[in-house]
Amino acid sequence: MRKERLSETVVTYIALILVSFIFFFPVLWLVLASFSASGSIYDYEGFFPKSYSLGTYIKLFSDTQMYDYPSWLRNTLFVAVFSCALSTVLVILTAYTMSRFRFRMRKPIMKTTLVLSMFPSFMGMTAVYLIMINFNLINNLWSLVLVYSAGAPMGYLVQKGYFDTISNSIYEAARIDGASNPTIFWKVTMPLSKPILVYTALTSFAWPWSDFILPNMLLKNRDLWTVAVGLTHLGETEFSRFAAGAIFIAVPIVILYFSLSRFLISGVSDGAVKQ
Amino acid sequence: MRNIKRALGLLLISSLAISMTACGSDNAKASGKTSSDEVITLRILENDTAKQEGYLDELLSAFNEAYKDKGIQAVDANMEEYSNLAENGPYGYGPDVLYQANDKLMSYAEDKHILALNREDFECADLIPEEAWNAFTIGVNGNKYTCAIPVNVQEPMLFYRKDKLPENWETDWDQDGDKTPDFLQSWSSLYQLSQQIVTESGGEKYGLVASCKDLYMMAEFDFSYGGYVFGKDENGLTNSEDVGFGQGDAAKGMLGLRQFAGVMNEECIDDSIAQNRYVKVADGTYFCSISTPDTYVLFHDRLADVYKAEGCSQEEADKKATENLGMVELPGKMPADGDLSKNGDTVETVVMGGVNGYGISAYTEHRDACIEFVNFATSREMITRRAQILGIAPTRSDVAQEMGGTTEMIFGSLSAGHINLMPSVKAVDQIWDPMGTLLSDVAKDAFREKKGETVKYTDEASMQEALDKASKSIYDAIYTLSN
Repeated sequence: MRKERLSETVVTYIALILVSFIFFFPVLWLVLASFSASGSIYDYEGFFPKSYSLGTYIKLFSDTQMYDYPSWLRNTLFVAVFSCALSTVLVILTAYTMSRFRFRMRKPIMKTTLVLSMFPSFMGMTAVYLIMINFNLINNLWSLVLVYSAGAPMGYLVQKGYFDTISNSIYEAARIDGASNPTIFWKVTMPLSKPILVYTALTSFAWPWSDFILPNMLLKNRDLWTVAVGLTHLGETEFSRFAAGAIFIAVPIVILYFSLSRFLISGVSDGAVKQ
Repeated sequence: MRNIKRALGLLLISSLAISMTACGSDNAKASGKTSSDEVITLRILENDTAKQEGYLDELLSAFNEAYKDKGIQAVDANMEEYSNLAENGPYGYGPDVLYQANDKLMSYAEDKHILALNREDFECADLIPEEAWNAFTIGVNGNKYTCAIPVNVQEPMLFYRKDKLPENWETDWDQDGDKTPDFLQSWSSLYQLSQQIVTESGGEKYGLVASCKDLYMMAEFDFSYGGYVFGKDENGLTNSEDVGFGQGDAAKGMLGLRQFAGVMNEECIDDSIAQNRYVKVADGTYFCSISTPDTYVLFHDRLADVYKAEGCSQEEADKKATENLGMVELPGKMPADGDLSKNGDTVETVVMGGVNGYGISAYTEHRDACIEFVNFATSREMITRRAQILGIAPTRSDVAQEMGGTTEMIFGSLSAGHINLMPSVKAVDQIWDPMGTLLSDVAKDAFREKKGETVKYTDEASMQEALDKASKSIYDAIYTLSN
């Protein structure tokens, strides 16, 4: 019995290590490529660079004449932070309204948004471009914030599903105690909705952080490019700079996930335990 | 409750106001048309190499210094070098002056996105050969219009390692005794050298490896044998109905390309070579490769990197790289029968080339100021600096003579008709894919033979058929599919 359990554990570990390696190897390769001393992908010995240095990372932040990575990073951060804040507010408010209130046209609106959210966002790119031209918002980071935030409430269904799970009796109790709608929202719903808030904020941040199509269309000026747009315009001999840029762009999102994951986990476990 | 609503309302209004203020400032920065009422600001779009090597900064500083009292200043348009004027110009986001190749500029000219210019407005007009002007001439209703000012000629060049020349080249590879290796003058000799390098190194090293699917680099295997892109009509203007890749003895030339691909690395078939040629020439895997003159710095810098890795200082590495990197025109002789293994009769090599120049956007609000800028940028002083910094071959005869060497050689080739310029019509956009596919397939055929697979191009007839099909595809793309 013990032997069986041991062999089961060994097999499980081997399978897990194998699967992790398959997923981890491309990341490892990219990390090593970012430290390549020559900067080119074509002087590797087999899979890995011949020699390593920190030069690429130094160049990434200091050699800004052609490729201004720090500026791209600032722009990306600006767009992601503002989009995240606005989108989260709009999505949560939409979801809460749809979940808690009953009003005329509620069902048709829900159906319409469901259908509209099925269309890929890039279908409306030409229209977005023309609208932005007319609003004089080409080459303007706010145009991205506007488009991301305006489109975000379409994806309110997950959040609505979460609000639906909060028992109605809690709201009724609050109402009996004399709480108004805003008070119920701020003091009852929000404290119970940390996990979905964190989830919404993270997804609202991650999308603009890595999007390429929209910024590539709306930002013509090199100084205003986001990281995703900038990296695709790197010269053909700049592979290690591309790798370093790609690695570095992942850092904030990883930090965010790590620092906010406890809210997600605690939220889930809070809901799971009956007290 | 009312207070909360009021506060919320105020908050929303103020955030909107702040956002709109930010919109205004960013946008002004981007469009950059005027910085004040008095000063005209021109947005200049140059190529990335000019920017990278510091030439653009030098040009803008010199212009701004010279024109500071005249109320004109020039700034970098700071856009992607191939950004589309047709897409951005009409909405006011394009540059005022743009530097591009003739095919690109003239496709804009056909759709009236750039202005027709008067040659007499430019000081350099008489110093530029007619061949270069022709690249920027368009015919409309029987009249000819010039739409850009030529700056430099581009043609494929051979980049090689001087320090990797065979030790015995003076005795064994200089049959005519002119102190220049035969393989830099004859394709047959270059083929034989490549064959020798591959054999001696056991397939570890190669002679010439170049992008066989790149029509711009490989057109000599077609043009030298009577092929051409488009014919001319009775007025001497480009006639895109006459697609001529299969004309003359072009099939013989293409069989020559297939033969040469057999001694190249398989990377010649796809785009890999376009990415790795700099590194592979630098590390000695390839003796030589083909590229345009403006990539000289890339070959140079990769070679300097190799020397630095060997322990040289930056200065020493640069010096050694300059000494050991050679850039010459492609060998001038090709075998008349297309068979590179023999040293028989030859024909002169005719390559595909292009002319880069300055065009003025039709959407600019400051036409005269743009003309002033182009005049300044094409002045003797600035073109000399451009040639010194970027290694380009200027179209200005005075600067070409002054620079001498390769620059004068390219200028001479243009005047002598050894460079067949890319036609300056929009239809040229349709030639690259069909011909690229054919060239790639022809090169692949050499490897099919090596691998024992069925070969497709066994004789001139099969090659001629393929060329005719490619020409037909191009014609269809221009006249059937696009309509």
